[in-house]
Amino acid sequence: MFDALHTASSGLTVHRTWLEAVSDNVANINTVRPPDEPAFQERFVVAEALPSESEGGAGGVRVAGVLFGDPEGRRAYDPTHPLADENGDIRMPDVDLGDQMVSMIVAQRGYQANLATVERARNAYEAALQIGR
Amino acid sequence: MAIGGIGAVAGMAGLSNLAGTGRPPGIPSVTELGAPGAGVGAGGVTFGDKLLQGLQQVEDLQTQADGMAVKAATGDVKDVHDLMVKSTEATLALDLTVAVRNKALEAFHEIMRMQI
Repeated sequence: MFDALHTASSGLTVHRTWLEAVSDNVANINTVRPPDEPAFQERFVVAEALPSESEGGAGGVRVAGVLFGDPEGRRAYDPTHPLADENGDIRMPDVDLGDQMVSMIVAQRGYQANLATVERARNAYEAALQIGR
Repeated sequence: MAIGGIGAVAGMAGLSNLAGTGRPPGIPSVTELGAPGAGVGAGGVTFGDKLLQGLQQVEDLQTQADGMAVKAATGDVKDVHDLMVKSTEATLALDLTVAVRNKALEAFHEIMRMQI
């Protein structure tokens, strides 16, 4: 009955998942691994559009899956680190903080845009209920 | 002669029907219209059925919203916005049902006020 609210809610879920993935990446930005293990892989959320009402679906968006970044990571030289191998190398994650900050802003703005949709749709439905009163 | 003329008039096509069944042609009988209370929807869906459907939907939405409120209180909910959207939907559905009820009551009172 209130399809605009459902699709906006699905958008909120996807943007919330994206924000969580970004926060995961930022939290692990200094996670060190020894060179014989894969580095911390950056999480990418893949969003998939659901078929719209004209195509028989409900519309909206859903998280199709999570992709993982490069397991190679960045090689850094730190012989004092307890996880370093005999050459003094360690693996750092290949996560760019600038990229993650931009993604965070975009995810937050997307979340706010969907919230605005929810609010406007609710006002529209309530105004419809005032007809003839 | 005048009596014969009237008989000739009664012999005309439309009036002979009138003489036979007492109803002008082209107007269906009461039994053909269906029993009182039958709606105009396809398949015989009445206004009462629609109202019951609406009430059922309101109850479902309220139950969902209550379930989500319990999960939020126990810390089980992952999407806070989901709970708020579900409660908004439940409120809207309830408002819609109340508005429909008010309209139906208004129509009923309007009819009851009619002078015979």
